[in-house]
Amino acid sequence: MRKLVELKEELEKCVKCGACRSVCPTFRVLGRETACARGKLTLIDACMGGAIEMSEAYLKHLKECTLCGACRDTCPKGVDTVAVYNAARVDAVQKLGAPLFASIVFKNLLESGRIMDVALKIASRLQGLIFKDGTLESGLLSRFSLPVIGKGRLLPPLARQFFLETSEARGLPAPAKTGQLKVAFYAGCGVNYLMPGVGKASIEVLKKAGADVFVPAGQVCCGMPAFASGDAAMARQMALKNIEVFESFECDYITTSCATCGHGLKHMFADVLSAAPELKKRIEAFSAKVIDINALLVNVLKYRSAGKETGGKLVTYHDPCHLNRAQGVRNEPRELLKSNKDITFKEMAFPCSCCGLGGGLSIVNYDLSIEITERKIESIRASGADIVATACPGCIVQLRDGLHKYGVNARVAHVVELV
Amino acid sequence: MLSETVKRELKRIVGEANATFAMEDLLCYAYDATNSSYMPDAVVFPSSAEEISLILKMANSEGFPVIPRGAGTGFSGGSLPVDGGVVVSTERMRKIIEIDAENLTAIVEPGVVTWELQNEVEKLGLFYPPDPTSLKFSTIGGNIAECAGGPRAVKYGVTRDYVLGLQAVLPTGEIIDTGVATAKGVVGYDLTRLLVGSEGTLGIVTKARLRLLPKPETTKTLLALFPDIKDAAKAVSAVIRAKVVPSTLEFIDSACIKVVEEHAKMDFSGAGAILLIEADGGADSVEKETVTIERICLENNASSVRAATDKYEVKDLWKARRAISPSLHKIRPDKINEDVVVPRASIPDLIAGIEEISKRHNLLIACFGHAGDGNIHVNVMYDKKNAVEAASAEDAVVEVFRLTLRLHGTISGEHGVGTTKSRFIEMELGPAVIDAMKRIKATLDPKGILNPGKIFPKAKGPEKAEFAVAGKQTQ
Repeated sequence: MRKLVELKEELEKCVKCGACRSVCPTFRVLGRETACARGKLTLIDACMGGAIEMSEAYLKHLKECTLCGACRDTCPKGVDTVAVYNAARVDAVQKLGAPLFASIVFKNLLESGRIMDVALKIASRLQGLIFKDGTLESGLLSRFSLPVIGKGRLLPPLARQFFLETSEARGLPAPAKTGQLKVAFYAGCGVNYLMPGVGKASIEVLKKAGADVFVPAGQVCCGMPAFASGDAAMARQMALKNIEVFESFECDYITTSCATCGHGLKHMFADVLSAAPELKKRIEAFSAKVIDINALLVNVLKYRSAGKETGGKLVTYHDPCHLNRAQGVRNEPRELLKSNKDITFKEMAFPCSCCGLGGGLSIVNYDLSIEITERKIESIRASGADIVATACPGCIVQLRDGLHKYGVNARVAHVVELV
Repeated sequence: MLSETVKRELKRIVGEANATFAMEDLLCYAYDATNSSYMPDAVVFPSSAEEISLILKMANSEGFPVIPRGAGTGFSGGSLPVDGGVVVSTERMRKIIEIDAENLTAIVEPGVVTWELQNEVEKLGLFYPPDPTSLKFSTIGGNIAECAGGPRAVKYGVTRDYVLGLQAVLPTGEIIDTGVATAKGVVGYDLTRLLVGSEGTLGIVTKARLRLLPKPETTKTLLALFPDIKDAAKAVSAVIRAKVVPSTLEFIDSACIKVVEEHAKMDFSGAGAILLIEADGGADSVEKETVTIERICLENNASSVRAATDKYEVKDLWKARRAISPSLHKIRPDKINEDVVVPRASIPDLIAGIEEISKRHNLLIACFGHAGDGNIHVNVMYDKKNAVEAASAEDAVVEVFRLTLRLHGTISGEHGVGTTKSRFIEMELGPAVIDAMKRIKATLDPKGILNPGKIFPKAKGPEKAEFAVAGKQTQ
């Protein structure tokens, strides 16, 4: 990846026109210049040039961003704002010597399958002590104000059995026979620990679509949360580990039902490992196989839903930033939903606006994060939909929390659960 | 520098959380879309006219500059704190107070983003026409201060034509209400119009009563390609002469076409100029007007004229059109961006004259803009690191101004004078006019605390006016 100093030209490209103010979800809530890209780029530039210290205020402005990429998309000058933000976070971590948030969690996620799993297993048994049942699809409400979590926040319960341990995931042999498309499934932490149902639905629909699907054992966290926290070294280790795991199997595609993981696997791996030219060929071969499950189903497997009862009347769709902006996958999930004759689809207003979770914002500043979600929830309310489909476990967590908080009676589901 | 007492008092007036002296904040309120930068001493975010009044009264007694700021997206330096002081941001004053569908008016706070107001009134079948290119992020307050125009001005006029009345705080702190809530009104001097376009030097707008129109039934967008730029200019005049009033008539020259192609992923190869034309109104009249416009374009050697096929194409075209100005830097590193206006019939003469100036100075001059109302954005492209080129760019600009004035035009149609044009106003305005303006300023702002260093050239001292160039002149 390019270091911050190498991105100086991106900073200089900004002409301060202010267009970023029209799309930034954080600016929309905070209403201060320091929140939008024009301000953030100014601060990063000033910090690089020594005009300001790497102060608490500087770090606060750096962290109060969902990395949604809306500013990059709207910038008439094409400033790669997200590259600058990521580099600035990595730069801060190198100078400060500690990740911007949640470092212990990431360390454990790298060891996935061992310590983290054991710890989470215990936690899943004990969660009743600190959480009570929420109202929406048996989510959990924290009883006390906890660091990172906050009181009254609706969280999905930890799964009693993690996806990667289920028979659905483990019972699949690595494909041998020819003729069928060989698809390796990458679960990601959200699916593994929180939403095994999404994992199972993914496997089911891939099989129905005619893929020979299997779930490589030993896969770990994709590293996107660590990367957002500025911990590039950790993200690098996770990337390497995953590449090794998936290389040992022969497959045509590597797919995932998490928008963030997909973006990580497809783009971030190559980015964080770019300093190792000896890995270039391996990374390219890996990244070339990565495809989001919606795109795989529609564009490669030509899958159409044969019809599936959803239990709802009207379905709308929320575009995850890491799918829409980062991977250019917009129409495929909509096509999938519309292919189900039992679904009446309705587009909501501003389907592409960020849900508020990303970039670590929900950890760094939960109040701001959930306030960003409010606009999304208003869109959902106005659409009249009773099912919100999306394609990212992160968005699912945030949308459920938001619907609960702002009192909208709609269910959130992953696209693969509806087709 | 502000004293500790002043700082404490500012915090008391607007609340602790809404006054900042932190370097990180000051840096982000030091610039505007001219890409110049001057550090303020404080930024405050008031929520009412009363708070602004207290700040201005203190500014008079303590003697510090106050600089009103909307979104900081102006092209003439209107919101730059050139002498330091306290930036008064209207970012917290962003309520649409009332939309009156019976009287076709709206009352808004200054920090409302223009596009958001338009969205809200359009939901009720109403229409707020002023559409500066920055409409998605600039504010009504800023639009009023600069009297913003836009593509629709050809048919609908500019911001001043939609301001019925204002609540404003005078530089000395009095809160005044100007104008009327009615369609007519002639009691006393028209202070509303004095404040509109006064670039934040005569008062700070805290509320505006705006005039609305019924929303046009339909809009049709045409795209006409001309191999020769001169024919495009002639077509503009011919359309106006034919007594057709399009709702927009935008002109895009070959240099700008490249930028549009890149943004909209469209192919306009072979075109020396494009006209982007819209007609709006009842379906029948729109159809008739577009037929006439198409005929006139073809008579003036357009190589093709076609209607935008769907609303997405229209959106793409406008997105690309709006991207021209900030994207021009892709052609050359620096630009001097002027927005001259000539009487509409003189557009061909202006275009021909600019071409001649461009050749003589060997500089690329990119032109685009609202040809329908005679307003052309003239961008002299250069590299400021090249001293010779920089000098001839300045000469070229002066020549463009002379040409404009010779054609009975004006040197700024909608950007304002601010810091970027102050040293040129004497070319257009006679000494008696400037003197009258200065006396108005001195009467309303005897201590000169409100937005100093704007509009009028500095008589003495170092030249602070700067061209709008990429790069920083942090002071």
